[in-house]
Amino acid sequence: MSGIAPSTGPHTSGTDVNTIIVPKESTGSKLARLAKEQYPLAILIVLLIVAGLSSDAFFSARNITNLLVQVSVIGIVTLAQFMIIVSSGIDISVGSIVALAGVMGAVMFSGNSVFLAIVVSIVIGIISGSLTGYLVSYRKLEPFIVTLGVMALGRGLVYAATEGSPVAPGAADFRAIATATIAGIPLLAIIWIVLAIAVAFVMNRTVFGRRVFAIGSSKDAARAAGIPVERTLMLVYVVAGAMIGFAGFLLASRVGVATPTAGNLYELDAIAAVVIGGTSLVGGRGRVLGAVIGTVILGVISNLLVLLNVSTYLQDAFRGGLILVAIVLTSLQFASRRKRRKAAEAV
Amino acid sequence: MGSTPKGTPALTLSSVSKAYPGVQALDSVDLVAYPGEVLAICGANGAGKSTLAKLIAGQERPSGGEVRIGGVEHDIRTPSEAADSGVLFMHQDPLVIEDFTVAENVWLSGISAQKGNRALKMTATQTADRTLQALAAVGMRGLPLSTRAGDLAPGSRQMLALSRTQVQDHNILILDETTASTTEEHFKVVEELVRRERDAGVCVIFVSHRMDEVFAMADRIAVLRGGKLVDVVSTADTERDDVVTLMIGEALESMEAPLPHEQAPEPVLTATGLAAGGARDVTMTAGAGEVVGIYGLVGSGRSSFARAITGNMPVDDGTLTLRGKPVRFRSNRDAMARGIVYLSEDRKREGFVKDFSNGFNMTLSTLEDYSTAGVINVRKERKRVLELTAEYQVKGGPNVLTRTLSGGNQQKVCIARGLEASPSVIVLDEPTKGIDVRARLNIYNIIRALAEQGKTVIVVSSEAEELLSICHRIVVMRDGAIVSERPPRQSTTDDLIRDALEGVAA
Repeated sequence: MSGIAPSTGPHTSGTDVNTIIVPKESTGSKLARLAKEQYPLAILIVLLIVAGLSSDAFFSARNITNLLVQVSVIGIVTLAQFMIIVSSGIDISVGSIVALAGVMGAVMFSGNSVFLAIVVSIVIGIISGSLTGYLVSYRKLEPFIVTLGVMALGRGLVYAATEGSPVAPGAADFRAIATATIAGIPLLAIIWIVLAIAVAFVMNRTVFGRRVFAIGSSKDAARAAGIPVERTLMLVYVVAGAMIGFAGFLLASRVGVATPTAGNLYELDAIAAVVIGGTSLVGGRGRVLGAVIGTVILGVISNLLVLLNVSTYLQDAFRGGLILVAIVLTSLQFASRRKRRKAAEAV
Repeated sequence: MGSTPKGTPALTLSSVSKAYPGVQALDSVDLVAYPGEVLAICGANGAGKSTLAKLIAGQERPSGGEVRIGGVEHDIRTPSEAADSGVLFMHQDPLVIEDFTVAENVWLSGISAQKGNRALKMTATQTADRTLQALAAVGMRGLPLSTRAGDLAPGSRQMLALSRTQVQDHNILILDETTASTTEEHFKVVEELVRRERDAGVCVIFVSHRMDEVFAMADRIAVLRGGKLVDVVSTADTERDDVVTLMIGEALESMEAPLPHEQAPEPVLTATGLAAGGARDVTMTAGAGEVVGIYGLVGSGRSSFARAITGNMPVDDGTLTLRGKPVRFRSNRDAMARGIVYLSEDRKREGFVKDFSNGFNMTLSTLEDYSTAGVINVRKERKRVLELTAEYQVKGGPNVLTRTLSGGNQQKVCIARGLEASPSVIVLDEPTKGIDVRARLNIYNIIRALAEQGKTVIVVSSEAEELLSICHRIVVMRDGAIVSERPPRQSTTDDLIRDALEGVAA
């Protein structure tokens, strides 16, 4: 299309194209804006300083490695949750599916082959993702209530398959992936970061990712623009499911056995991490880096509570409280941004 | 109400300014309004008229100067304070709660933070009679009170909001583009309502850029341009063109309909006995290089027809042929693949993605053109986006969020998105709804250019004048069928409205 230049008509008066089109931003204000957008990063830095000051052990190589191993699995689940939330959905079944995938990976084929266990775990995730995706996209049901059902279903199957006790897989090298390190960095963390980069690429650089953002922001507008809304949403849940299934295997591998209570409250951590990372719960907005930082923030909080010898019984309460504080902090930023936007719209 | 004699202002603005970060929305405006008069506030989009209305209603606070409501000694700080002082504000987007019933919406002020409403007080039960009276006063008769407000059409919602003028005490009534979402039929009711309000001594502030309405109702017209008050004129001794000139700061030529084609153009899209939604039986043809207008009132089936021929609504009956071949679209994607594009009348909902920048919105339908194996070539996309924003002169450039722009600029983005798909048939539903005079001309020029390139353009509109100035042919719909076809050069607004109201299908 060209030559439809609309405003060459006589009535457009002296608005010079060049003066309105490229708003130049000074380097200073650009930096200020970048700093503002990195709110989660600021919270993390403050938290790291607090952690370093309150516990000598925090910055020890061993603790950092430990921390990375701890956050990697939930980090992958958070990436899946991130995609779903950007599409304006939510998945509260992630914890159950992590457990189910881990258990099935360890139980089927007696857990004799690590490769088969990985495949089984991912397939379980894909099946559950397809179920949720079908109900959410084609049947147009609320993701919250659908995944509430899937959560109960998944956990129920876990208990049925394990009869309540941990299952040890047959393969001797079942823990290999979780314990391996490359140049001193835990393989788990490397897998997590590689997946984060992959998700960032998919969300920001592919047609699929752009469609997910569009659907999450304005479903009707996306449909009107010719985007295959149902197919895209379905794919979001399937891809997320595959990642959750894989995370289930990694968790079982890290622990060495598949426990029926695995992944408990993962939905809480994953959703909180996504929100702390600046992603809008209504969908359509958010950055992968934010979700990664959100994961680390939650990880540091948990880690610190252990280092400070906070009673196990109190830890969950502390974690919940600190999550609230972190969310309030990010909402302060959103509020000021909203005010500015409102002002701009009102003119 | 109405006890204040003329001479005591109902409202006084003294050097009121409002600055938003980076924008001076209002610049030292002095304005006085009296009881028993209708004061219109006119201006192009972005002139500051909505800001002015919001300041009076206490929705925003001025950054300089003061707003005084007659009889109130202090500043108005909140909307409920404004309401307590007798200001009734009608928003541009009708303020109704969708999940409440019609009756509950009429009495909405009963749950506001106004004086006398305590949270624990039982909400007053109102008689159905009074509710029905209030609704009848705004032309809503025969509607069950238990209807969910969300099920009403946009126009009816606005009328529902207006019914509050009947139940809420007020001496200043602000109508902020209230008629933007209504049609010409509702307009008569609004006109009647405004007359009654004025006779009762209410000071009516009417914000609009539609000259027809302004001249039909207002006693005085205050014209804003770029945040400054340009002039206040009396309607009786001013010409419409003068006001428009004041608004845009230059003389505006009116447009004349294009000359009809000498021989009938080659037919491109033909509907035969088409039925879908509100359209019952529509038979019409649109040819290459032709702008065909569809005129009709709300409920005439015009939008259903437009949606059905573009795959946005299932076809119940009848046939559709594209260049002689029968077609059936399963979705709008299907239709787009065949070169048929629809631009919705509901820009905010279906026009653009709200969290997307202009650039992202413009390439949304054609992402495949910029990608290999599903991966977007960002540089290639960026290049095209820069071309497009320059070509369409979209304000703010490619990186600005589309939703922060004026209606005219938003529409340019929507049109750019649609045209990027290189369609041969473009169906525009109410393309200039809520768009000011100058931006309209932009849109009309685009439509003309499309026809000159040999494309088929179908424009659905409830504004007769608009169709008369851009179309080669106009068909009028009523009750789901076409009742007449009118050549624009030999027809008047009156002809079209008459056909739309009383025409009978052949």
